[in-house]
Amino acid sequence: MSNLLRLLLLLAPLPLLAATPARIFPYAYEKHTLPNGLTAILVPMPSGGIVAYYSVVRTGSRDEVEEGKSGFAHFFEHMMFRGTPKYPQAVYEGIVTKMGANTNAYTTNDHTAYHLKFTKSDLPKVIEIEADRFQNLAYPKIVFQTEAGAVYGEYRKNIASPFALLFERMQDLAYDAHTYKHTTIGFERDIKLMPTQFDYSLQFFKRFYRPDNTVLVIAGDFEPKPTLALIEKHYGGWARGYVAPAITPEPPQKAERTAEVSYPGRTLPILTVAYKGDAFSPDNRDFVAALLLGELAFGETSELRKRLQLREQRVQTIAANIPQNRDQPLFSIFAMIKQADDIAAVRDEIYQTLEHFKTTPVDATRLRDLKRRNKYGFLMSLDTPDAVAGALARFVSLTGDIAVIDQLYAAADAVTPEDIMNAAKKYFVPERRNVIVLKGGQS
Amino acid sequence: MSPELLAAKSRKRPEGETSSQGAYRRTGDLRRRAAALLCLFAAILSGPQRVLAAQAPVLVPVANDPTVSVRLWFKVGAQDDPPGKEGLAALTAAMLTEAATQQHGYDQILDRLFPLASGYGASSSMEMTVVSGRTHVDNLADFYPLLRDAVLAPAFKPEDLERLRSRALNQVENQLRFASDEELGKAVLYHDVFGGTPYGHLEVGTVASLKGVTLDDVRAFYAKHFTRDNVVIGLGGAIPRDAGQPTDRAVAPITTAPGQVNAANVLEQLKRDLNQLPPGAPTPVPAPAPKPLKGVSVTLVEKNTASTAISIGFPLEIVRGAREWYALAIANSWLGEHRNSSGRLYQVIREQRGLNYGDYAYIEHYPNGGARMTPPQNVARRRQLFEIWIRPVPHEARHFALRAALREVDQLIKHGLTPAQFEERREFLKKYVLHYASTTSERLGYAIDDAFYGLAEPHLDRYRRLMDEITLDEVNAAIRKHWQLANMKIAIVTQGAAALADALVANAPSPITYSSPKTEAVLAADKEIATFPLSVAREAVKIVPVTELFAK
Repeated sequence: MSNLLRLLLLLAPLPLLAATPARIFPYAYEKHTLPNGLTAILVPMPSGGIVAYYSVVRTGSRDEVEEGKSGFAHFFEHMMFRGTPKYPQAVYEGIVTKMGANTNAYTTNDHTAYHLKFTKSDLPKVIEIEADRFQNLAYPKIVFQTEAGAVYGEYRKNIASPFALLFERMQDLAYDAHTYKHTTIGFERDIKLMPTQFDYSLQFFKRFYRPDNTVLVIAGDFEPKPTLALIEKHYGGWARGYVAPAITPEPPQKAERTAEVSYPGRTLPILTVAYKGDAFSPDNRDFVAALLLGELAFGETSELRKRLQLREQRVQTIAANIPQNRDQPLFSIFAMIKQADDIAAVRDEIYQTLEHFKTTPVDATRLRDLKRRNKYGFLMSLDTPDAVAGALARFVSLTGDIAVIDQLYAAADAVTPEDIMNAAKKYFVPERRNVIVLKGGQS
Repeated sequence: MSPELLAAKSRKRPEGETSSQGAYRRTGDLRRRAAALLCLFAAILSGPQRVLAAQAPVLVPVANDPTVSVRLWFKVGAQDDPPGKEGLAALTAAMLTEAATQQHGYDQILDRLFPLASGYGASSSMEMTVVSGRTHVDNLADFYPLLRDAVLAPAFKPEDLERLRSRALNQVENQLRFASDEELGKAVLYHDVFGGTPYGHLEVGTVASLKGVTLDDVRAFYAKHFTRDNVVIGLGGAIPRDAGQPTDRAVAPITTAPGQVNAANVLEQLKRDLNQLPPGAPTPVPAPAPKPLKGVSVTLVEKNTASTAISIGFPLEIVRGAREWYALAIANSWLGEHRNSSGRLYQVIREQRGLNYGDYAYIEHYPNGGARMTPPQNVARRRQLFEIWIRPVPHEARHFALRAALREVDQLIKHGLTPAQFEERREFLKKYVLHYASTTSERLGYAIDDAFYGLAEPHLDRYRRLMDEITLDEVNAAIRKHWQLANMKIAIVTQGAAALADALVANAPSPITYSSPKTEAVLAADKEIATFPLSVAREAVKIVPVTELFAK
């Protein structure tokens, strides 16, 4: 798989959802909300004794509203492994090590997820230690400062890739006011200053790590009833108190923006054309149609890709990414182009393709095939507890619930060729457009 | 994992099969256990792959799985690349699964796969090429003929070769050299450790060799290696629980009509179809015998880069299956379990000092570690290496980080694990390895690797069982026997390589300063790390500009 496609998959870990009138999510589940606002979604499924446990905090890099704090949600994710008075870091690590648990966490622009995979007999202990660290996290300053170095190392590791550089610059170019201006790992200048932000980190924990901003998703081989009782016991005393940050909306873009980015290593040129889209909403017919349009116009079986990549072999790869986000994301098309003097022509091919979709209804069979593909793709992806809980985490981050999955499928099922044309006309216009050409150096 | 999920092999010849081995599920039957023991004994005597004989299918039926996973293992890989044609195995595999067949253009294949939400691909590693795919049972009848045609009837069109060659060249010239310093460091290490053996080149090939591959090369390679005697069928998921079982009852009637392949008959259909491949099995390439390393040698890759990536390694004498391997696995996991914060290297370099994002150790080849959390399947090798992966550190900490890692290995060799460390680690592994094979496709991958290594007892079952049997003495003996620091290869991707070369040769102290306070214990250890001796001769240091790597 190309780096580009891999990156796109990372950015959009879920298959696009589409089309079935009935419920698409194949497992029965329970949803409970405690008096303090903590929501628990319990998905029993056959799994050979394995359980996946996700704690989804609905805070990500979009919540980094203060100047100089970009990347802090991700940095804070690292600090969540630093222990509590009852279970200091070494004790916590000893417990999960003896469990043979697979533990990790990740941060996106919209949420932060802490996840463990383990055998079912360890579920009661997992509930206890996870509830403890979400309520009683405590770490010394010296540990905080050292971890900032590891985060910087993560940044340096990533930035060797031209795609990481490109995404960083594109967010910066396309946004003026909204926090999507920075990537999840943050601006390098802010990462460098992280060791000085100890006091801010304490405040960050109190503001965002609250039960009314957190959802547990548990999938696998377990009994819901005793599990819920343990959740109530260990999380019940967690005080609510989440106050949503005041995120400045991005003002409407008025004109096209362009930039050139120079990558210090060698690479084929990468063209990115990114349009201001809409936030996730299954009720927004244009948005749902755009999810399908990305695949139809630039996906593996699109006419443009077949021509540019397979027949004429002018691009190494081409793809679109239509993300599902809480706020207005960029609907992007990427192309890695073989010859630098062909960049403008490929760009124009992309524009012409979008114009074509504005005026010509998509073939009904292709649209039906795409809906079928998305349905089977989604079902096939739900094959382990971790895959199920991880897939649900994204929807939990968007809406706090997973009922939206069925809504989204129903909405996608109703998308018509005319809807696709309307979405093309709405989003893919020059005023919403941001274009970056990244070129490699000769080093 | 329930035992019936992983199939093992016996020497019993099932009715109606042309192969020398049948397959059975591990049900506890005494006769079968005896056969398994015999098979294991043979494996120990003859080493990996010698007992393969085996065209017996590898089967992993999984209840409640609505999908079918396929892995067709061809016993060919980069080790079979002809001299000057490095990358040919990988290109040939791609020409099967990412190119036209005699029935359809590649764009038509993609169109047909599209509504199925299914696909297939090929992975070509040093010793194995595996064509794999997965589809929902509802779509199997439409999916199967596409997969079959890819293997049996590739079109080998020149435009497909040009497209895939161009991609491979981009991978070497741009992505590997520039887009990930840590993967580059690892590639240089593998190249150095196994130089002069059939493992001594990248699977993807070199710039010059890729440019020289012709369609005739691809056709000849396919004809030689993709034979019916050189393939093992792997099937998992919604296949019948008795699939492949020796049985007295009549096999369900098979039709060759493509529309009628289903989960119940896909095995028989695959057998019939693959039997259309020509006969013949090429002579196996001898297992690599790398020249014994003499002293420490260092390859420094000079590059305009923001940080320094370090890889360290040497060949190992043992592979999975040997009891000693699992003893060493306990020590290795303690030293640096992949992408796990509990490892010692991670604790010392990242947790205590914040020098990078992670630090890990390996006793098996582990490609693409930056993109995965658990070990890959079907990259099995008859010779393995011990490897340390230090993720990029600031340039000013490069010498220190190298020493910090080596000092930990040194301490481990000298002192071994403590009883408490040993106990914790084996408890950890007993459960942790369950996560190595979460999906049906991964279980199938492991079962195929079991066949590669000639393991009658599935590797992960054996792994878990031996965690209760292996003693601390065995672990520490394995460390002393297999790990040392006198003879090894080091690969470092950095900027300002000449200065590092001078410092290494001079064994110059490498004190470190931090921008934030550290504990007394850390600072005390730092003094020892900064002067940890590492003997590197001037003539054992090589500086290579990044653009010269993998050129030919």
